[in-house]
Amino acid sequence: MKNVMVRTENLTKRYKNTLAVDKLCMEIEEGEIFGFVGANGAGKTTTMRIIAGLLAPTSGRVFVDGIDISKKPLQVKKQIGYMPDFFGVYDDLKVTEYLHFYAAMQGIDKKRTNTLVDSLLELVRLTHKKDAYVDTLSRGMKQRLCLARSLIHDPKFLILDEPASGLDPRARVEMKEILMELATMGKTILISSHILHELSQICTSIGIIDSGKLIACGSVREISEKMSHSGKLKIKVLSDEEEAVKVLLEIPEIKAVSTASGIIDVDVAGRDDTYAEILKTLVEKGIKVVSFQPQESSLESVFMQLTEGGNGNDN
Amino acid sequence: MIINPILQKDLKTKLRGWRSTILICCYVTLLAGILFLFFAGNGMLNPVSLQSFNPRMAINAYNILITFQFALLFIAVPAITAVSISSERERQTLDLMLVTATPARTIILGKIMVSIAHTMLLLVASLPVIGIVFFFGGIGIADIAKLLLFYLLTAFYVASCGVFFSTIFKRNITSIIITYIFLGLVTFGPFLGFIIYVLIKERMLGIGFNPVYRDFVKWLFPSPVFGYVSFYFGSYGGYGGYIVGIGDIQRQIEMLLAAETGIWKYMHPWIVNGLFSIISSIALIFFSTLALNPVKRKL
Repeated sequence: MKNVMVRTENLTKRYKNTLAVDKLCMEIEEGEIFGFVGANGAGKTTTMRIIAGLLAPTSGRVFVDGIDISKKPLQVKKQIGYMPDFFGVYDDLKVTEYLHFYAAMQGIDKKRTNTLVDSLLELVRLTHKKDAYVDTLSRGMKQRLCLARSLIHDPKFLILDEPASGLDPRARVEMKEILMELATMGKTILISSHILHELSQICTSIGIIDSGKLIACGSVREISEKMSHSGKLKIKVLSDEEEAVKVLLEIPEIKAVSTASGIIDVDVAGRDDTYAEILKTLVEKGIKVVSFQPQESSLESVFMQLTEGGNGNDN
Repeated sequence: MIINPILQKDLKTKLRGWRSTILICCYVTLLAGILFLFFAGNGMLNPVSLQSFNPRMAINAYNILITFQFALLFIAVPAITAVSISSERERQTLDLMLVTATPARTIILGKIMVSIAHTMLLLVASLPVIGIVFFFGGIGIADIAKLLLFYLLTAFYVASCGVFFSTIFKRNITSIIITYIFLGLVTFGPFLGFIIYVLIKERMLGIGFNPVYRDFVKWLFPSPVFGYVSFYFGSYGGYGGYIVGIGDIQRQIEMLLAAETGIWKYMHPWIVNGLFSIISSIALIFFSTLALNPVKRKL
């Protein structure tokens, strides 16, 4: 069983009349890439800031690697790398000086810093800019530099708030590759993004937050399964498409069948067990099945269904 | 030796260009210019004049220079510290500092040290100019050392005030204004209070008032100007018994201090005010740390 890296217990944050986070309970296991999804003002940034130790919750507790952040904040901060949704750079510093400064702030030995800075710049692909002033970097480079800063003390757990916001497609792909590399290094990552498609590609699990409440948690498949007991299939047969459609329509669990470009789209009332029964029936009826593919719900569709009618408020 | 990372970064970025060197040169030239004009205006540069060697004039020049530096300290230190935290907030780098393993207290101390370092750099750079008055006698190395110590304590206090308001107020402009108003009140308020107290006693209640040194201390201890009078060389000439200038206040206070007994005899204005600076700075640093610390447990 994997170690739980982050656990929140009834986390609540209230700003006067606004409830930004409402009794939020969640767990992130070690090595996971946890995507935090929610509309603007849903409470993502507030939750992340509380976990990073930058905001005191109104009530509730946060444990990072088993340590209560309210009791030992400095010990927890040594385990956390935080990248906010803004740059936060000193324009009068060079790239290496910037990282040296934060290495000193993290109490890293000066002798180790040089090697550390070089390896981090290599990781975020900024070695060629090491002597450039921070204000001369492009937005994507600044984002990557901020990521390097958050990694300077080799934290176990990374909190990345919208790391790809405002980046061009190439910079987004580069950022995604770096995150995948970090995951292979065993880092636990909590990441928020509005680019749900990319998030679903890199995250091992997702948490959907709406009006401060965690309304769903798990893999995209688990969430969509929890949401509904129906699914979609894409079937391709070698020949006799009409016969295949006829057979499918005789199965009571099938709600609708349509064909396009030689592919049969099937809406099914049921999940894996029903899929197996459908495939068995087709084969028994002598239909030559070329491919049989259950369709995962996209994160976008899951998110839209779950947050339907919900209104975010800025916090 | 571990240097505060904030101080290290600031010194690196601020001192590496020509800007700071030019600034220091301008400042020293300005002081030298003031001194030159003062000497020239009093005929001390005229080789045939009888006044060309007048130690009293050198002391007056010294008074002018230390007053200028004291005023500079009150203008420069708040300007640096009153934006120290709020500018980090505006630049969105404060969170990045707070999320590190560096405690909030070290961040606050780093900001204070930055302003003290800059002020002390200017003060030390000006020593050769002040040193000119040594040629005339009357002022010794010990006087200068005590003065620098007093300036250091005052800079510490003023910087702590600036950082405190910078921590409390989110906007730079609000923090600057409040810091200057507060320092103005602390500096001149006690004198105003003391004058009102004396007037009430003498005029309204009709009670004759002969203050002792402790009366001055009781009212004036928070004011850095009270401490500063220790270093001002009074004229001893007198103006018909009326207190008309800082030299007369200094003379009056020195006379009353000489009449004191016990430990009070050693409680010079600069020592009293210096102690106040230390205690209030510690309190201000404590409250700044508390205000800056997001989780408010581990200071």
